[in-house]
Amino acid sequence: MLALGIESSCDETAVALVEERRVLVNLIASQFEAHRPFGGVVPELAARMHLEALRPLLTAAFAEAGVAPAKVDLVCATRGPGLIGALLVGFSAAKAMAWALGKPFVGVNHVVAHIYANFLGENPPVPPLLCLVVSGGHTDLFSLTAEEELRHLGGTRDDAAGECLDKAARLLGLRYPGGPAVEEAARRGEPRFPLPRPVIEGSLEFSFSGLKTALANLIQRLTAEKKELPVPDLAASLQRAVVEGLVAKLEAAAMIYRPRALLLAGGVAANGLLRREVAALATRLGMEFYVPPPALCTDNAAMVAYAGLSRYRRYGADPLTAGVDPALDFPLPPWG
Amino acid sequence: MPWRVRSGSPAETVLFGCRLGRLLACGDVVFLHGPLGAGKTRLVEGIARGLGAAGVRSPSFTLLHSYRGRLPVYHADLYRLTDPDEAAALNLSEVTADGVLLVEWPELVEVEFPARLSVCLSFMAGDEDARLLTLVPRGERYEAITRAMEERFAGPRI
Repeated sequence: MLALGIESSCDETAVALVEERRVLVNLIASQFEAHRPFGGVVPELAARMHLEALRPLLTAAFAEAGVAPAKVDLVCATRGPGLIGALLVGFSAAKAMAWALGKPFVGVNHVVAHIYANFLGENPPVPPLLCLVVSGGHTDLFSLTAEEELRHLGGTRDDAAGECLDKAARLLGLRYPGGPAVEEAARRGEPRFPLPRPVIEGSLEFSFSGLKTALANLIQRLTAEKKELPVPDLAASLQRAVVEGLVAKLEAAAMIYRPRALLLAGGVAANGLLRREVAALATRLGMEFYVPPPALCTDNAAMVAYAGLSRYRRYGADPLTAGVDPALDFPLPPWG
Repeated sequence: MPWRVRSGSPAETVLFGCRLGRLLACGDVVFLHGPLGAGKTRLVEGIARGLGAAGVRSPSFTLLHSYRGRLPVYHADLYRLTDPDEAAALNLSEVTADGVLLVEWPELVEVEFPARLSVCLSFMAGDEDARLLTLVPRGERYEAITRAMEERFAGPRI
């Protein structure tokens, strides 16, 4: 089946065509500036900006893939969570296309779609699986008993892991984007400062705000002592705490659910220490380890298309009367 | 008239927010100021609880969250934005008109909301858990809320 995916939940307008597990084309408006005057590197949070970007992106996607819109078998779009105006643009466009083409339509949960990036390409993971979705906006742990059967095990009670890294970067005076900046600084440092683990004991939940505040307090203390800030050591300590917290809960969940493989997804899956630690955990537990390539870790539409395809096979199409849900929760129930 | 109160712990900040949340009505706007780690999201958690809503998480990357309480509770965070046009594009006043709006890092939308209650959280030297909360009302509605908080709040005055 050929699935069209449209993503417009927050910053990125994205369009992709996916033939089963094969990505034919995967376009993101913000990376497309060289070709089109989309108007800057801003977060495209205005509905109007999504609207301006979407049609040229769709045209480009079909041209690049060399297929006609009529060949599409399924139209998928992000239903939530996200900004209502932004979501409406992609969701409405997808429904309109599905109606005009006479093809089924499926609405997809953005966070769940991140998991499905792991199923694109050859040799997909075989359930049962555990997946940790970590990005600037989300930190969520899922178990999958089948490709379409997932359960949300836990999330963050306050900040997301990527947000914690980003805010730590700002506290440390590092440049934007914060995640890679912390990782780079940490490479030159030693994790010698004790910081709290960002986890809620006795659960599979996270809490990163206490870690952020602990770092802020530590920086204030060091500044008050008129010491030069050991930025690499602080970055290494912070990164170590974040990764240890994530890995601890992944391990706890792995002991309970005994998956065949551990999966990472989301923008923070690009962090080298996290990848190494999760890979090491998988080896230690005799499990496989999967992580999507970088272009499929950050927000994209290929994951939306494949998640939609998978959902369609399990639950069928969604009605064209379906609406967006800015506060969409897990799991996404089928419309009855 | 601004009013100040000391919060001795994150739990006290939540309690303070809870009391404030009970006083809020449809259309009210609360700005939250303060450095990283001061407890802005924690205070939002309390305010939302006072409005009967739960599940507060930081919208620093996702920009706007909504929670279901006795009124819709909108939780915006402009931390990532640098351009007033980007902030204006969020169209906060229109999107959130049917509920209570709470904004972290609100500097870019100050013009959009001339009437509001600003709560500033600051660190206190010598006590890492304590915060100084300053309520700065703008407009009669928020003067009244601040006076009501002052009357109801049992915490020590500074």
